[in-house]
Amino acid sequence: MPGGSDAVLLSIEDITERKHADRQVIELNRELQQRAALLEAANVELEAFSYSVSHDLRAPLRHIDGFADMLRKHVGETLDPTAQRYLNTISASAKRMGTLIDDLLLFSRMGRAEMNRTTVELEQLVEEALAEVQVAGESRNVEWTRAPLPTVEGDRGLLRQVFVNLLSNALKYSRTRDPALIEVGTVPGEVDETIVYVKDNGVGFDMAYAKKLFGVFQRLHGANEFEGTGIGLANVRRIVSRHGGRTWAEGRVGEGATFYFSLPRRTTGVETQFQSAVTQ
Amino acid sequence: MNTGVKRILLVEDSEQDVELTLAALKEAHLANEVDVARDGAEALDYLYRREAFADRPDELPVFVLLDLKMPKLDGIDVLRQMKGDPLLKNVPVVILTSSREEQDLVQSYKLGVNAYVVKPVDFQQFTDSVRRTWLLLGSLERGPELVSVAS
Repeated sequence: MPGGSDAVLLSIEDITERKHADRQVIELNRELQQRAALLEAANVELEAFSYSVSHDLRAPLRHIDGFADMLRKHVGETLDPTAQRYLNTISASAKRMGTLIDDLLLFSRMGRAEMNRTTVELEQLVEEALAEVQVAGESRNVEWTRAPLPTVEGDRGLLRQVFVNLLSNALKYSRTRDPALIEVGTVPGEVDETIVYVKDNGVGFDMAYAKKLFGVFQRLHGANEFEGTGIGLANVRRIVSRHGGRTWAEGRVGEGATFYFSLPRRTTGVETQFQSAVTQ
Repeated sequence: MNTGVKRILLVEDSEQDVELTLAALKEAHLANEVDVARDGAEALDYLYRREAFADRPDELPVFVLLDLKMPKLDGIDVLRQMKGDPLLKNVPVVILTSSREEQDLVQSYKLGVNAYVVKPVDFQQFTDSVRRTWLLLGSLERGPELVSVAS
């Protein structure tokens, strides 16, 4: 059957190409597996690194503060004011670095913690965050405005942290105002996203520095003006981007600030997990 | 040999931390005898009266202050051994650690730790934590008899 052998020849060529494609798929798969293993290894390393920081880096700081304290008591009244001041600076710096380390560890945990996705009522989160950030018995005059907020899909604990950070910022930077006006609401965005904002009438900021706002330990005010290390907004950005959303801010010096974040209406879990793994 | 002295066992590998913990106990007006073991293996030697501690007094410590990260056997190993031994499991154990890592906390409580103190950078806060832990342990039913002196 000569016609049949022709067909056999043709099909051989087909198989070669398919085999080539098959090989490519196998190759790609292997590459993907390797990458996943690398990512896994990097995560384990990060975990170990963070554990070590938690244990080992804080210990010498405790020693610095502890021994400065003991020295202060040991020499007691004989210490002149300058020496006193030096000792106090040593203690204050050690404590400051302790706070920075704690903040950095928290930031790292925000990125590593496994996401537990559920349906989250944002309004309830705001309620809880408010209870957490309002100082009991404080005599400040704050007028709150709250618009209805939607229900989204996401990690409840992490999203709650977003509101805690944004609301405590709004309170902090409006504390010179009487009354302080703080507003939580939504604005229309793309069809498939929810945009939430927190607005205050506080000291505001220069838009020229808007890009720096969400960086780790980035601050636009001196430490003696407003306390803090500058980790809050970095955490907000990290959490929101893990949810597949965006963060941005608008403000003017002396005229308040508005912080926005978006969340996709329907998140495809795999995609955002992959994104967050890559950006870490 | 029963001396009647209430002893605390402090298990801590860092010399600076030993000194600071003793200072904190003193500052909190807690005047018990403190014996020091430098790592987890020494701690078990002490508790089982062997090796360098074969001659220590009979009674067990009123409680054990235990660091977590140590050479040889770490704090978790010591805790596991103590809480698994009918002779030692009633000795209260207080973990004293730098770490705020959740995994340590969870594991310690799973193993039956009696208190868990994260040592803050601030020495005065540390003294306060030691004092509070002391009160907590003292208030437990069948809690340890502790020696506390007023300022």
